[in-house]
Amino acid sequence: MTVDLDDQQDDEVLASLARLRTCDVSQRRSHQLRRRCHAMLQAEPPANRWAWMVDGAPFRRVIVPALGSAWCLAYLVEIIRRTAAIYGYFGTP
Amino acid sequence: MTPMGPDDERALVARLRAGDTGAFDEVYDEYRPRVFAFLLRMTRSRTVAEDLLDEVWLRLVRHTTRLLPDTRLAAWLFTVARNLYWSHRRDALLEESSVPELLTLWPSPPPWPSPFDLAVAGELERRVERALLTLSPQYREVVLLVGHEGLTPTDAAVVCGISPEALRQRLSRARAALAEKLRETPAVAALTKGFAT
Repeated sequence: MTVDLDDQQDDEVLASLARLRTCDVSQRRSHQLRRRCHAMLQAEPPANRWAWMVDGAPFRRVIVPALGSAWCLAYLVEIIRRTAAIYGYFGTP
Repeated sequence: MTPMGPDDERALVARLRAGDTGAFDEVYDEYRPRVFAFLLRMTRSRTVAEDLLDEVWLRLVRHTTRLLPDTRLAAWLFTVARNLYWSHRRDALLEESSVPELLTLWPSPPPWPSPFDLAVAGELERRVERALLTLSPQYREVVLLVGHEGLTPTDAAVVCGISPEALRQRLSRARAALAEKLRETPAVAALTKGFAT
């Protein structure tokens, strides 16, 4: 019985909350903010055009490792080539 | 306040992601008063609430391209608003603790109703507003999100960054505390009369 009474009182509390007024900013301020947001939406910075690629899985999972591997491979080949050249392979040092 | 269906919301989010200003207007008109009312009741300051509201919408615009297709807009907006409120509150507390001597220069909140109290209509409504102000911010936010904004407990849990079970417990305690405060809160009319004389 007590639980029911408490639940009923709780429901009344929530109902009283639902009836509270909704407030708003002044129209002038609201328009200013809307204009500012529109301007930002319409003037998308160039960086955002590539955002899908930077944020997306293809960039993280494929392109970055591929570029890294290619650089490492080129470095390794150059080291081997120079070392070989020191010992007289592939021409004079 | 008509609840938005999941399909409508997904379509709206897709348009927002594409930078559609019409979609922004729909979201802005639907949620601006609700987010502002939430911030106003949390901060108890119109100026602060207005500044935080600006930041909420600017963040939405900055993040449109990164919104997930199934983003719940109400939960997203109230999460940002809540985080901004707590961030502001931390800064304010830090500032107060660093300059305690200045605190004496500022009067504590007056015991009589503020202009906001006087503007709201109805005795019960005034009592609820006053009772809300006496609740701790943690309790106030959950009763506002669920009781006033109509968020589901799951969405409200996301907004508050806690589990749904923890939210249900907090909501139950908050409702009980609010009911208790409502019983304790004197009728505003009497206070108003005392202030007027």
